[in-house]
Amino acid sequence: MSNRYAIKFSKDGYIKYTSHLDLLRMFKRAFKKTGLMLKYSQGYNPHPKMGFAQPLSLGYSGKSELIEFETVMPHTTGEIMEKMRKEMPEGIELISCFELPENIKSLAADADAAEYKIWIPTSLSEDVLKKEMDRYLNMTEIVALKRQKKTKKMEPVNIRPMIRSLEINKVGDFAMIKALLDCGSRSNCSPELVISSFCSHCGIETPRYDMEVERTNIFFVNKLQY
Amino acid sequence: MKFDYKLEKLLKRVEKPGRYIGGEINSALKDPAKVDVNIAFAFPDLYEIGMSYLGMQILYNVLNKKDNIYCQRVFAPAPDMEELMRQEGVPLFTLETKTPINEMDFVGFTLQYEMSYTTVLNMMDLGNIPLCSRDRGEDLPIIAAGGPCAYNPEPLADFIDIFVIGDGENALPDLLDKYAQCKKAGMSKIEFLKEACRMEGIYVPSFYEPEYNPDGTIKKICKLYDEAPASVLRAILPDTESADFPVNPLIPIIEAVHDRAVVETFRGCTRGCRFCQAGIIYRPVRERSKDTVIKLAKAQLANTGHDELSLLSLSTSDYSCFEELAGELIDYTKKENVSLSLPSLRIDKFAFDVLNKIQEYKKSGLTYAPEAGTQRLRDVINKGVTDDDIFNSIEQALILGWKHIKLYFMIGLPTETYDDLDGIADIAKRIIDLNYKINGPKGGRFNVTVSVSNFVPKADTPFQWAAQNTAAEFEEKHNYLARKLRIKGVTFNYHDNTTSAYEAVFARGDRRTGKLLLEAHKAGARLDGWTEYFRPDAWERAFEASGISRDFYTTRERTFDEVLPWDIIDCGVSKKYLINEAKKALDEKTTRDCRLGCTGCGINRYVKCSMDGALRGEAHTDNE
Repeated sequence: MSNRYAIKFSKDGYIKYTSHLDLLRMFKRAFKKTGLMLKYSQGYNPHPKMGFAQPLSLGYSGKSELIEFETVMPHTTGEIMEKMRKEMPEGIELISCFELPENIKSLAADADAAEYKIWIPTSLSEDVLKKEMDRYLNMTEIVALKRQKKTKKMEPVNIRPMIRSLEINKVGDFAMIKALLDCGSRSNCSPELVISSFCSHCGIETPRYDMEVERTNIFFVNKLQY
Repeated sequence: MKFDYKLEKLLKRVEKPGRYIGGEINSALKDPAKVDVNIAFAFPDLYEIGMSYLGMQILYNVLNKKDNIYCQRVFAPAPDMEELMRQEGVPLFTLETKTPINEMDFVGFTLQYEMSYTTVLNMMDLGNIPLCSRDRGEDLPIIAAGGPCAYNPEPLADFIDIFVIGDGENALPDLLDKYAQCKKAGMSKIEFLKEACRMEGIYVPSFYEPEYNPDGTIKKICKLYDEAPASVLRAILPDTESADFPVNPLIPIIEAVHDRAVVETFRGCTRGCRFCQAGIIYRPVRERSKDTVIKLAKAQLANTGHDELSLLSLSTSDYSCFEELAGELIDYTKKENVSLSLPSLRIDKFAFDVLNKIQEYKKSGLTYAPEAGTQRLRDVINKGVTDDDIFNSIEQALILGWKHIKLYFMIGLPTETYDDLDGIADIAKRIIDLNYKINGPKGGRFNVTVSVSNFVPKADTPFQWAAQNTAAEFEEKHNYLARKLRIKGVTFNYHDNTTSAYEAVFARGDRRTGKLLLEAHKAGARLDGWTEYFRPDAWERAFEASGISRDFYTTRERTFDEVLPWDIIDCGVSKKYLINEAKKALDEKTTRDCRLGCTGCGINRYVKCSMDGALRGEAHTDNE
């Protein structure tokens, strides 16, 4: 038995203003409290074998987030759910728990794409928005400024190849973009790059803090779906 | 606009928005409309600092266990959040229910350090609460304050309606119950204050007014309300064993400075260091039994899932059953994969065994606080540590493989000369040599850090009459030490002189220094304990505008017969004892640890002290 499990959960409400490191601490503590003993890594600074499929940016809500972990003893998924549910703060809902196959890599290594809903208040009509979106997607190059990890400098990158699909609709006063973007260690496109480049493309000047972003799904390689 | 929506827009624009959202595990959820008293417990600093403070956890637990009281929390916003709150008209609110603090019945500030006073004012201002108590009507909350700095309440006397002095576990709920009764009886604020001022540990500053001498000292303190007590004895919890202690503490939602299970082993200290306010105002020593400490620790760990446990007291290893306690906790925490930290350990043979067990090969660094560089000065301050104590323990540490020794000293102590500063450098030098002798030239990296802080005389200590050094004297001493400590392997740190002087002004300030606070607030001072937010320019302007003389409060030596601003507060230890200690200090005479025999501090006039001679029969080094 590998005792590998994952929990699917949502993150919404005020708690979306905590970072993924804070959330990780919260889960670590919850495991400790339930007595579901996690396996620890070996070495100088042992840490529990536990991690998110993908970190969720501070301020985003998540509908279908995943955390994977490995326990010392086998447990039923029902037991895990029941115990962990009691330890969650307001805003974190546990949706399901399932065993992971032995032969897959970590979820983080297998993450491939993610789906987001982006809500932007705007006065532009649905027609205009849809036309602008077509023009935006038809460009061969979409240049967005991305901060480089090493140099900390803003560098232009072409994000077009990382955008799998974008769909826009008007819902009330909001433009709602449904975005499917590369996500994971091989190729990763932050929704922030789509937001900034699309808004400047069609002249939307809504401040960033008036927008909401929600991650609705994470997809994995080899058509694995959780 | 809905408050939540307005707030969300702010949260997207600030750093660490988790500071302002509440929703922590174990936070209290009640309907504010269904309780008799709503109180906001206010910590005048950022979330990460305030959430690490055990006193808040204790009082939050005690208050929220009562059905008729709802205690919520509020912290100071960081400057980025403050700016947006002011811009968007969002008033300071409680974390639990996002209620503006001016809608509370009570706002209770904890006063942990003097440099937080401007933040107290700024938080009231952000909550749309007029700063001066005389400007607040019936519809505004009662502003209360407590904590160690409340032992000299006078700098805040114009702003605070009611001070709660001493142990708050009983005093605060009793006060709020009294408020509930008065409210039900339809009494006004002033009528409530008149009732309250007769309760244990309660000081209502507006019932008193100081009269001054031509030289600026206080002539006498006049009562404005006849029934107000002539002296306010601090609230004293008779024992801690039966006192309620949180086993379901709030868990910080973002990382706090300390994020761990904490159990208070005892309150008070028997050592009698003459600079130390905590050593006086928390007397007598009141211990929890070993079994209770262990029970509380286990419960807290089980309820929180914390992976670190710490014991809290003024001197961990002075606990009467320390060896047994440490032994049992080491075994337990090891089994549970929890790390154990034991702060304020006196370094002796046993402590080494303990440290060696809990740190194993992770020898992070050993901290030692001789406080003064020579035996003479250590006798003056009654720090019962000898050269032999220091070097024997350091030698042990070096043999056991510690590679980093941190030393803490104070400068500007009464009677200090440059010989005492030379003593500091000598100690550092001798440790480097000792390491060379023990570990040889190939001993690897080794470092001694010498941290020097500026002495600030505090109320209710034997040094409460002493002069503080001038800024120039401090600077000269820093420069001198910097030259003396230019030794390979030695790092020298020291504190900013400006803040130590401001701290000293308020530590012994009278009611007139409130004007300085007000001016500093107007000039934009807040979060003064943070180097990055401290604004010396604002303070300079405030001194000018208020006409307050810094030197009058800092560098002036007081005579024993001067009326001190805090004389109205009785900390439990007699003034006679403090005077006697001050005189002995000048004679370089030490006073024994009172576990070796009562030294007559006077606390047993009010409460049973179980420490008298607890260790009698053991050898002691008293030179009385």
